[in-house]
Amino acid sequence: MATYDFVFEATGLQDWCTSGEGADAPMSMEALTAQASGEEQTTSIWNLPFPSMDRLNDACPAFPQSRNVTRGLEEGFLNVKDSMSFVLDPLTQPLSWLLEGALYGILNTPWWIVIPLLMLLVWFVSKSWQLLAFVAISLGGLAFIDYYSYAMQTLAIIFVCAVLCVLLGVPIGIAMSRSDKMRAGTIPILDMLQTLPPFVYLIPLIFLFSVTEPKLYGIAIILYAIVPVIRLTDLGIRMVDESVIEAAEAFGMTDRQKLYGVQIPLALPNIMAGVNQTIMMSLAMVVIASLVSAPGLGVLVLRGINNLELGVGLVSGLGIVLLAVMLDRTTKAALNRINASQKG
Amino acid sequence: MLKRSEKNTKIAIRNLYKIFGEDPQSVLPYVQDGMSKPDLLEHHQHVLGLNNINVDVKEGDITVMMGLSGSGKSTLIRHLNRLIEPTAGEVDLDGTNIVKLKEKELRRVRREEMSMVFQHFALLPHRTVLENAGMPMDVRGVPKAEFQDEANKWLDRVGLKGVGDQYPFQLSGGMQQRVGIARALCSNAPVMLMDEAFSALDPLIRTDMQDLLLELQEELKKTVVFISHDLDEALKLADHLVILKDGYVVQQGEPQEILIAPNDDYIVDFISDINRARVLRVRSVMKVTENIPENVAGEVDYDDNLESVIARSEGETGLTYVVTNDGKQVGVLTMTDLVKALVPTHASDDGLRAGAA
Repeated sequence: MATYDFVFEATGLQDWCTSGEGADAPMSMEALTAQASGEEQTTSIWNLPFPSMDRLNDACPAFPQSRNVTRGLEEGFLNVKDSMSFVLDPLTQPLSWLLEGALYGILNTPWWIVIPLLMLLVWFVSKSWQLLAFVAISLGGLAFIDYYSYAMQTLAIIFVCAVLCVLLGVPIGIAMSRSDKMRAGTIPILDMLQTLPPFVYLIPLIFLFSVTEPKLYGIAIILYAIVPVIRLTDLGIRMVDESVIEAAEAFGMTDRQKLYGVQIPLALPNIMAGVNQTIMMSLAMVVIASLVSAPGLGVLVLRGINNLELGVGLVSGLGIVLLAVMLDRTTKAALNRINASQKG
Repeated sequence: MLKRSEKNTKIAIRNLYKIFGEDPQSVLPYVQDGMSKPDLLEHHQHVLGLNNINVDVKEGDITVMMGLSGSGKSTLIRHLNRLIEPTAGEVDLDGTNIVKLKEKELRRVRREEMSMVFQHFALLPHRTVLENAGMPMDVRGVPKAEFQDEANKWLDRVGLKGVGDQYPFQLSGGMQQRVGIARALCSNAPVMLMDEAFSALDPLIRTDMQDLLLELQEELKKTVVFISHDLDEALKLADHLVILKDGYVVQQGEPQEILIAPNDDYIVDFISDINRARVLRVRSVMKVTENIPENVAGEVDYDDNLESVIARSEGETGLTYVVTNDGKQVGVLTMTDLVKALVPTHASDDGLRAGAA
C-alpha cells in the first residue's frame, strides 16, 4: 500500500490504475526494502511525502513517473528534430561558411599582414597610442610563445559572431523600441537567453547539427551574446531626448529621417556599450564552445582541464584575459570618442 | 499700422477641445455641456487640456498666449502643427483645416508653412551649429553644400557669426536658443511657433532675445505665435494677447485693453505687480480730442510708454501734453490722467474701467 492510495480510491480511478498493470518499472529503494522485509510500510505524518509523480505512481501504476517528463521532452524533440534541421540547416549554412572562411583567412594570411592590420584597426577605432602599444605587446607576446594561431582563431570566431550579433540585434532593438507589444514579447526571451546556463545552449544544438560543423558553436555564441546589443539598442532609442524628437517632427522629418538622422546617432553611445558587452560575452562563450569543437584558446583550456596540464591551462587562460582586455579597451575607446563628440 | 480687423487671419482656431485620458470622445459631450476640469477628473478620470478655444491669429502679428503652468498653453501651440491631435475642433491655416490633413500633406505644412522654437532648444547634439541651423532644408533633401549659405546667413542675422563649426554643447544657453531661432528662420516658413522660447534663459539674455525677436519681426513680418508664462514678456511682445486658464481663454485682445479693463480676477492678480508705467502707452490713457489745450508742455507720441512721459515731465504733475501720431494731433494727455492710470488695478477697479471707456 502506498501513501496516496486514497486519492485514487476517492476518485474512483482504481480501474484505470490497474488496467495498465503491465508496466512493472523498477521500484524505488524504499519499496524494495519494504518488499524484502515483507513489512507493510506505515508513514507517520512527519514523513509524509510530497504527492509527486513517483509517489502517485506507487499508488497507481498507470500514473506516469517523473522520468517520463524528461523522456517525453526528449522524444518530442527528437521527433521534430529532423524537420527542424531540414529547415534550419540550409538557413544557417552561411554561418558555417563565414566561420570557416574567417578561420581559413586568418590562419592562411601571414602574421606580418594580420598583426599590422589589427594594429591599424585598433588605431582607427581608438586613436590612442597607449592602447596601440598594449595591443602590440600582447599580440607579440602571444605569438612569441606560439599561441598566435589559437588566439587568431578565437579572434576570428568572435569577430564573425559579434558582427552578426550587431547586424541582427540592432534591428531587433529598433523594432522593440518602436512597439511596446514587440518589447513585451521579446523581453522574456531575452531574459531566458541571458540566464540559461551557457552549457544548456549546446545540448539541443548538438542534436540539431553535426558537431563537426562550425555553425553549431556559432549559433550558441550568437544566442548567448546577442542579448546586450538588443537591450541597449532598445534602451538607447527610448532614452533619446523627447524634445529633440519633437523638434524633428515639428520640422517635418519622416520616420526614416528621424531614425537615421536622430534616433540612431543619439542612441549610438548605448548601442556601442551593447556591442562592447556582446563582444565580451562571445569571448566567454567561445571558451565553452570548445566543448563542441570550436577551435582557439578554449581548446587549450579544455586540454588543461582534461589532461591536468596546469601550465597550458593557465597560459591559455591568461591569453583569453589579454584578448578580453584588448577587445574591451578598443571598443570602450570607440565609445568614449562617440560620447565626447555629443555630450550635452 | 493696420487695425486688427483689417488684417488677414492666418490661423483660425475654432472650438478646439483636447481631453487627455483613455476615451476622450466619450466624455467630450460632458465638457461641451460645461463640465469643469476638476469635475471631469473626479467623475470621469479624464484631464481637460483645452476647453473650447477660439482664437484668430492675424498675419504679421505676434500673438502671445499666456497662462500659468497647467493652463494648456503648450498643449495649444502643439495643436497648431498637430504635434498633438485635438479631441474636437478645427485649426485652419489659410483656410485649410490642419486637423484633417493626411500625413504627407501635414509633413509639407510642417516643412514649409510652420517652424518652431522650443523652450529647451531641442538642437541635435550630434550635428554642428551650421547643420542644426540648416536642418529644415536638410529635411527637405537640400544637400549641405546648398543650404550652407542660407544657414550661415541666418546665423549671422541672429548674431552668431563664425560659430557654425562648433557643436551645440559648446555654446551657452542664450547662444543655443539663437541657433534655435536661426533654424526656425532658415525654414522660411511664414508662421513661427515659439514655445516658451525664452523661459529657460536668464533675465538679461531674455531681454536681449526679446529685442532680437522684435527687431527680426520688424523686418520679416512673420506670423508669430508665442507662448509665455511671463506677463512682462507677453506685454512687451504681443500685438494680440490671449490669456489662458485651466484650458480655456479667459480674455483676449490688445495688451493695453486687457491691462486697462481686465475682466477676471485671475488677470487682475496677474497684472497687479507689473510696472504699469512701462507697459501702458499714451494712446491708452489720452483724451481723444483735436482741441489744442492751454499751457502745452510739449508733444508726445501716441505710442510712447508712460514711463518716458514721466521722465520728460520730471515728475511735474500739472503738465499737459499734446499727443501726436505721424505729426498730427490725435489727443491730449494730462499728467493727472497719467498718474490715475498708474494706480494698481485692485485699488480702483471701477475708476480705471470708467476712465478707459
